[in-house]
Amino acid sequence: MSAQKRLRIYFTGVGGQGSLTATALLARTALYAGVDVVAGEVHGMAQRGGVVESVLLLGGWRSPKLEYGEADIILGFEPLETLRGLPYLRKGGVVFSSSDAMPPVSVALGVESYPSMDEIRERVGAVASQSHFLPCRELGMKAGAVQAGNTVLLAALCASNLLPFGVDVFEKALQIFLPEKIKAANLKALEFGQDYIANA
Amino acid sequence: MSNPLLQGKGDECHLLLGNEAIVRGALEAGVHVVTCYPGTPSSEVPDTFRRLGGNGKQYTLQYSVNEKVAMEVACGASLAGAKALVTMKHVGLNVAADPLFTATYTGLPGGLVVLSADDPGFHSSQNEQDNRNYARAASLPCFEPSSAQEAKDMTKEAFRVARELEQPVLLRTTTRVNHMRGAVRFGDLPASRDDLVEFKRNPLRHVPVPAVAKVRHKVLEENMARAQEIAETSPFNVSHVPAAKPKLGVIASGISRSYVLDALEEKGWSDRVCVLELGMTWPLPERLIAGFMGDLERVLVVEENDPLLENGVRAIAQKKGLGVRIEGKGAILTIQGENSTPRLVQALAAFLGEPCEEAVIEPAANLPKRPPNLCAGCSHRAVFYAARKIFGDDAIYSSDIGCYTLGMLPPLKCADFLFCMGSSISAGSGFAMVAKKPVVGFIGDSTFFHSGMTGLANALFNEMDIIVVVLDNGTTAMTGHQPNPGMIQEQLGDVMRHLDIESIVRGIGVTQVRKVSSFNLRAVEKALEEFRDMSGVRVLIAEEPCALYARRSLGKGASRVAEVIAQGEETKKCVDSFACPAFCCQNGEYSVDKTLCTGCGVCLQVAPKSFRLVKRG
Repeated sequence: MSAQKRLRIYFTGVGGQGSLTATALLARTALYAGVDVVAGEVHGMAQRGGVVESVLLLGGWRSPKLEYGEADIILGFEPLETLRGLPYLRKGGVVFSSSDAMPPVSVALGVESYPSMDEIRERVGAVASQSHFLPCRELGMKAGAVQAGNTVLLAALCASNLLPFGVDVFEKALQIFLPEKIKAANLKALEFGQDYIANA
Repeated sequence: MSNPLLQGKGDECHLLLGNEAIVRGALEAGVHVVTCYPGTPSSEVPDTFRRLGGNGKQYTLQYSVNEKVAMEVACGASLAGAKALVTMKHVGLNVAADPLFTATYTGLPGGLVVLSADDPGFHSSQNEQDNRNYARAASLPCFEPSSAQEAKDMTKEAFRVARELEQPVLLRTTTRVNHMRGAVRFGDLPASRDDLVEFKRNPLRHVPVPAVAKVRHKVLEENMARAQEIAETSPFNVSHVPAAKPKLGVIASGISRSYVLDALEEKGWSDRVCVLELGMTWPLPERLIAGFMGDLERVLVVEENDPLLENGVRAIAQKKGLGVRIEGKGAILTIQGENSTPRLVQALAAFLGEPCEEAVIEPAANLPKRPPNLCAGCSHRAVFYAARKIFGDDAIYSSDIGCYTLGMLPPLKCADFLFCMGSSISAGSGFAMVAKKPVVGFIGDSTFFHSGMTGLANALFNEMDIIVVVLDNGTTAMTGHQPNPGMIQEQLGDVMRHLDIESIVRGIGVTQVRKVSSFNLRAVEKALEEFRDMSGVRVLIAEEPCALYARRSLGKGASRVAEVIAQGEETKKCVDSFACPAFCCQNGEYSVDKTLCTGCGVCLQVAPKSFRLVKRG
């Protein structure tokens, strides 16, 4: 086994948001950085408006899967899903989450109620040692495309010094792996994510 | 554009999905023919072959109408000398089992690899059957990868073994392997694909009448003995013996190997047990396993679902007279669901006599749920709404496999039972034979071609009663819009041909046939009302493209969207009974989410005074 720093990251979001694309991008970045990587996804029924979960394990794990209490980091692309995924975080782990709510149908119809951001922050704070809630949609739009909001979140993670590689490697990966037409917006989004952490 | 899967050279390293790695392995093996029926978690294999654009050049790809057909096409191709790959999800192998159980007798000189993508944990399946049972029942050498790299390497090796033994080989994956991503170090692509094995006409081998089959059964047994020799020294069966040579051992197969090794590493127990990892898992390498257990006092066998490896290991110990104590399935390692690293920590703690605090973490309580749902603008919802309006609880709803199974959810509640692909018609007509209630069967277009046609012929032939609603959304929606014969010709290109469902239904002999647009609520209701008062086999074809497919593939964006023009009881009734996910309600005020609405206009028909269509602005 390698002596690399071992980290386990849990991604969660809503079908159609692009959280699987984000997982694959970070996995490719890790491979580019020479870090052992394995990622796991669940496809299928979840695409029909359901929850989409994925995992990324760095530093020599073999299993493409996480259970409750195993994640060092949660990357939440939607705040309610961040909260739903919270049991996966180990005590003292770190949370990066979008603060843009996407209410499920039951909430849209007034049958169930969406927890307040204060409640979400408080419940996350009770488990996590650090948590960051970013206005990804707004920052993505400002960068030039709403989907670039996912890059804001990834950049914040890469800028946090928690990973075995830094935001500079992520920037290189964006240059290499992204199609030309979406590169500019994503590089701008990277700056926003980086700035957010610098000012946190 | 060049794609590394198709062009990448040996020694390149790429991050691949497990299913993409299988594609690369098949390409490195020089696969000639790929057949499939899509099904999660196998679908990305044929879909990747399709995306690569090598069809007709490097290989021939076929979306068959069902798994049995896919298997037979692949068997035929392999008998004609090609290296063939057939892919399906685990339950698909039930459909394909008939040809497979005899192809093992005739043997297939070209080489056939059968991908069975199993789904322990029910991520998207109706059962979690363990298809390693098929390796034993049909006599198939079996490989079980645990990583993307192994998925590639074992696919390639499976082809080598299939051709060497002239026997079909099972590549048995599980969801976690199909849908994992990992680094894959490439091997070389073949310099030439000009290596078909010439067919030698020999009915005394290839036509399994009893006298022939009897001889072939013996050959099969001999070939499986050769397969065992391959397994005895396979590089995919490896043991890790710590320097201290502990008296405890673990034998694990498939993805469970990963959980075992991660758990040992995490707890610092790697030096305390010997580990035997099995990647080529059938036939069992008996000498290798017996040798591994020779000096051990206790062995823990770790596998997902059925205790197949465990029973095999017990039999080997008994046969060799070994005194080793064998442990396996029990309270911790159950036959239910998937294994995991924490489950293995717990099992290994018990095995090693270490304390293990079981951390109980509860799911986050009281959160609004986000279940999968029929999309806004889904044509199925309109038909279910109409059926419920006409029949309510007076009919029994026989469902089938597809997005429309989600019609079981309230308020539509249009699924009372379901067995498998195509069962809506056959099981529905069987139910009607006994029940004194009308039975309405719902079946999608791809499922109709898969195995609905035979059930329909049977119902008609036997003068049975059933109302069949073909929910024709023009694509294989659930698994990701793969081609099926019902797809329009423009989408099928020039290598596949469109087949017309109505002509087939009428051609079978059904005379009570109606065809409507799913979004024309009155027409759907009228047809169902007429059918309610008739008997025999009645078929309603309700057509309207899948909303996602219409937008992504047909380029049909919504130019108009619905908006609420009046609040009140009628609006509430529509929201409650039609339940489109585009409906919103804030502080008692109803509205339509314009980003979700596709402008299907069905809500206007349900509640004309509550909604109108406006230009998307």
